[in-house]
Amino acid sequence: MADKTTTRTYETPPTDRPISEAEAARAAGLAANEHIKIASGYLRGTLADGLLKHATGAISEDDGQLVKFHGMYLQDDRDIRAERTKKKLEKAYSFMIRLRIAGGVVTPKQWLALDEIATTYAGGALRATTRQTFQYHGVIKSNLKRTMAAIDATLLDTIAACGDVNRNVMAATNPAQTGAHKAAYQLAKDISDSLLPKTSAWREIWLDGERVVGGEDAAEIEPIYGKTYLPRKFKTVVAVPPSNEVDIFAHDLGFIAILDEKGGVTGWNVTVGGGMGMTHGETDTFPRTADVMCFVAPEDALKVAEAVMTVQRDWGNRKVRKNARLKYTIERYGLAAFRAEVETRVGKPLADPKPFAFTANGDRYGWTEGDDGRHHLTLYVASGRIKDYENGPQLLTGLRRIAEIHEGDFRLTGNQNVIIANVPSEKRAEIEALVDQYGMLKGASALRRNSMACVALPTCGLALAESERYLPSLMDELEASLASHGLQDDEITIRMTGCPNGCARPFIAEIGLVGRGPERYHLYLGAAFDGSRLGKLYAEDVTASEIKTLLDPLFAAYARNKQAGERFGDYLIRDGYVTRTTNGPDFHDSTGALKSAA
Amino acid sequence: MASHMARHAIIPRTAPFGDTERASLDAVLGAASPIQRAWLAGFLAGLDASGAPQAATVPAAPPKAAEPLTILFASESGNSEKLAGDMAKLARKNGFKPKVLDFADLDIASLAKEKRIVAIAATWGEGEPPARAVRAYNELMADGAPRLEGVSFGVLSLGDTSYAEFCAIGKALDARFEALGGTRAHDRADLDLDFETPAAAWIKDTLKALAPPPSADNVVAVDFAARAAGDEDEEAEPSREPRVVEVIDHVNLNSSRSDKETIHLALEFEDGAPAYEPGDSLEIYPENDPALVDEILAATGLSGDAALRQALLAERDITTLSATTVERFVKATGHAEAQKLIDSGEAKAWIEGRHLIDLIQSFPATVTAEHLTTITRPLPPRAYSIASSRKEVGDEVHLVIAAVRYETHGRARSGVASTHVADRIRNGAKLRVKLKPNRHFRLPQDPATDIIMIGPGTGVAPFRAFVQERRAVEAPGRSWLFFGDRHFTHDFLYQLEWQEALEDGSLSQIDVAFSRDQPEKVYVQDRIAQHAKEVVAWLDGGASFYVCGDATRMAKDVRNAVVKAFQDVKALSPAEAEAAVAALERAHRYQQDVY
Repeated sequence: MADKTTTRTYETPPTDRPISEAEAARAAGLAANEHIKIASGYLRGTLADGLLKHATGAISEDDGQLVKFHGMYLQDDRDIRAERTKKKLEKAYSFMIRLRIAGGVVTPKQWLALDEIATTYAGGALRATTRQTFQYHGVIKSNLKRTMAAIDATLLDTIAACGDVNRNVMAATNPAQTGAHKAAYQLAKDISDSLLPKTSAWREIWLDGERVVGGEDAAEIEPIYGKTYLPRKFKTVVAVPPSNEVDIFAHDLGFIAILDEKGGVTGWNVTVGGGMGMTHGETDTFPRTADVMCFVAPEDALKVAEAVMTVQRDWGNRKVRKNARLKYTIERYGLAAFRAEVETRVGKPLADPKPFAFTANGDRYGWTEGDDGRHHLTLYVASGRIKDYENGPQLLTGLRRIAEIHEGDFRLTGNQNVIIANVPSEKRAEIEALVDQYGMLKGASALRRNSMACVALPTCGLALAESERYLPSLMDELEASLASHGLQDDEITIRMTGCPNGCARPFIAEIGLVGRGPERYHLYLGAAFDGSRLGKLYAEDVTASEIKTLLDPLFAAYARNKQAGERFGDYLIRDGYVTRTTNGPDFHDSTGALKSAA
Repeated sequence: MASHMARHAIIPRTAPFGDTERASLDAVLGAASPIQRAWLAGFLAGLDASGAPQAATVPAAPPKAAEPLTILFASESGNSEKLAGDMAKLARKNGFKPKVLDFADLDIASLAKEKRIVAIAATWGEGEPPARAVRAYNELMADGAPRLEGVSFGVLSLGDTSYAEFCAIGKALDARFEALGGTRAHDRADLDLDFETPAAAWIKDTLKALAPPPSADNVVAVDFAARAAGDEDEEAEPSREPRVVEVIDHVNLNSSRSDKETIHLALEFEDGAPAYEPGDSLEIYPENDPALVDEILAATGLSGDAALRQALLAERDITTLSATTVERFVKATGHAEAQKLIDSGEAKAWIEGRHLIDLIQSFPATVTAEHLTTITRPLPPRAYSIASSRKEVGDEVHLVIAAVRYETHGRARSGVASTHVADRIRNGAKLRVKLKPNRHFRLPQDPATDIIMIGPGTGVAPFRAFVQERRAVEAPGRSWLFFGDRHFTHDFLYQLEWQEALEDGSLSQIDVAFSRDQPEKVYVQDRIAQHAKEVVAWLDGGASFYVCGDATRMAKDVRNAVVKAFQDVKALSPAEAEAAVAALERAHRYQQDVY
């Protein structure tokens, strides 16, 4: 019975089957974020639907990645995280919204509008970032669209303020060099505009804009970025020597103004491959200072910027996200090959870099006069937090009052400070009176003027330790220590971050403190004062109370032994306390204190 | 009263009975109501006529129909309704044929046909009728009300002396019945929160007053069937005796950043929870703030009196200050200044925002422990809508209680029950509670019926019970919750539970209104307006609509929003839209539990 056979023919099973782009990406071993980008329909994801889910203040995990491209991070108040579940409440979610303000220039009218948005939706604080823009904290989901509409009404936006794209482009503020500043600002603005994502998703989702109907042709929708944008964030700055206030060596792409004798810009040195972020315990991740790659004439600068970004777009590591930034691409393929590819895309050979010299990466505080006779006042803003401090400066109110009468503009600096810029001589006294009235010039020691801290707790999801809320009290202690050694007027850069991603660029500060866990920090020393050299891990997992104990004898030795004009970071290397870091790849080598200070 | 009357001789000495027999007859007749006496007269007459002495249950004379009595109630919390039921039972025993009618279901034209009307009416908020009674009340007060010549009436009003317009609705009804030509059979009583004993007395007296005069031809039949049915009703009711429960969960649902404090309270009944239904309330017997008790004791120089302290803690209402309190205080102390306050007519304004402690401190006088007891009223229990379903929580009852704190006249004040729970009750503590059923706030019989729930703030309590219940029975009907409070992040009561309910389908939709998250205030009624089309579509599809929470503004604003929704979506005139909502109310598809 069993051997009864039937004759029947079958079709041959298909050997290939159609697969989606996302599946193809997975098959290629791409990082998770690459799948999200591919599936997002040019950064739309399910954001529009997510905004309608009224029971939660959050959005979906994938949308959480996409919303960065729109300038936002989903965060929660970590201070009250522990109590929430018991109270049958979800995490205290809110959004950080970062603006895109190329070159950090804001008109008084815009200032007033941004102030009002802060007061209405963001807890009464504007935060100047370390990258020359503002961010708002604590905007809840139900207020996102109206906040975005209010931002749009200021003629600013938040497109590409975060995410795997060319982010806010910084420019030297250099108030004393009017001509160079104009050129730097113009280049920053041009790069910002030309490398902006073109998807209409932002306008569509936040401003109820019409969805542009048309093909899904990447060449039309995102001619530069395509569907997958960049492998990782991409940061661009423009510097004017001798100031390195924009910290050019910490950025993916930089332009250094080469000035003629009259202060005019003859062209730009191009830097590539800087970046701060790393992961604790993973030595294949490291901060890196940028290489000075070439010199370009003013008319080629924009073309070079685009070429650098597109080579990174194509060559960057999309499989291992933690190695995706341009600095790893340069390490992987070499600067020569990278430059050759850029030259190919620009269509001509590029000249070698011209000489230049930086002196510092801090700001010039107080009044300065530009070569056009206009006046500029740089105000110290502790950690960039513009608000009315209890028993302290009334920064929010004071700057609002100034914006009401100011005829020039405002500039944000890369050091989280604010410049009241382009004040005509006759207005100077009036502005000065307001600055006095609201106590805005108080409380900035040399150390504080050279300090930066990232936001960290309670809102940043990445923070491992306190930063903005802790650095002020640490500096109280260090100031006392410095004063006891007669160093109270010495400029020493000190920067703190809550995690190793390095938003406040701690790895190029003379004293760098990077959060490891609650009240524990890695202490980095030996970086250059002008931001051109990385520090070295000097002590691991230092508790808050140990920081001063470790630094005090080093201050003492520096006070005793420094040579004329010698900087703290340089001294520590010369006198053998810590090994010099040449660049990223040896960042993790020869760590620790080489000798103990007497 | 009854024993006093029994002692009064009714049967004359000349009657053909011995002393013992005469005393027995006096005892029976003295306590009997006029109707009972009338019945007895007819019965005895019939007995002799038929010569059949054994047929005690069959009246010999052809019985007249039992005397009709219509008992109307206007109830919000259920007290008036409960009294109406009690009165009906007693009336039946006394030979009436009572009919209990909710104002909500009243057709006022029918009143003219009645012979006897009793109205038991609660006054709500600032002198308003209970929500369900509003329509009939307004019709009764309007020009078109029927004349009531030949109608005997009595009004019992319930209120709260802590509100300025004490018993306003009862007073208005009483005056209105008279103005319409009715005859007042018995004087109105205006009762405070400790109404139970005086209400029982009023009911008894009023029934006597409404009884027809005893005469030979006024033979009344006793409706024994009705009486038996009444007894059954009594047995079917869940126990309303106070019970002691243990607090097993006590959580402030607001975040530590909130300026509000809302306590989620889980109570466990050791020997089984009473058979409560979603929509019912639970009364808590609170205690006063010991600090306030001590302050009063100190102000009166009575700090040493331990028994008084205990009484003030647990038995007397030591916060409420009403005109009555001031009068009693003056009567007890003879305080001249306080007397002036009353005489000048300023007392009403003065007590606004003040408490007993202000009176005692402002008018120092010799006050005895006895005075304190006579000045104050008994401490009333406080009812909270139950926030759980037995099908989900078993022998527990969950409540959600907002701590009431405010300041008036430079002094911090606090709600007695809410802060007792918030401040002085923790896990393991015991509370005395009593079930308070509310059959006017019930899920639809058919679980396939859609429901719309409007519950801002603690008004969300019964809807947590509704959603739990509908989850347990796997109700196929859709459910839509409108919730509101101050801040999304800090005041979203039961947020995680609503998220789960949305996930498992026991909640189909939620819309929220947080008033202080943006420059303009947004409330649940604004969300209803935004979703007018959908709301009307749900209602047209048979959905039931529920509102719980603030009576003074929210419930009215919500109702207006629904009327407006009908008007806009269906292009109705204001009157037509109003009628559409009124029709929902009469069909019990628009229900409120407001306070």
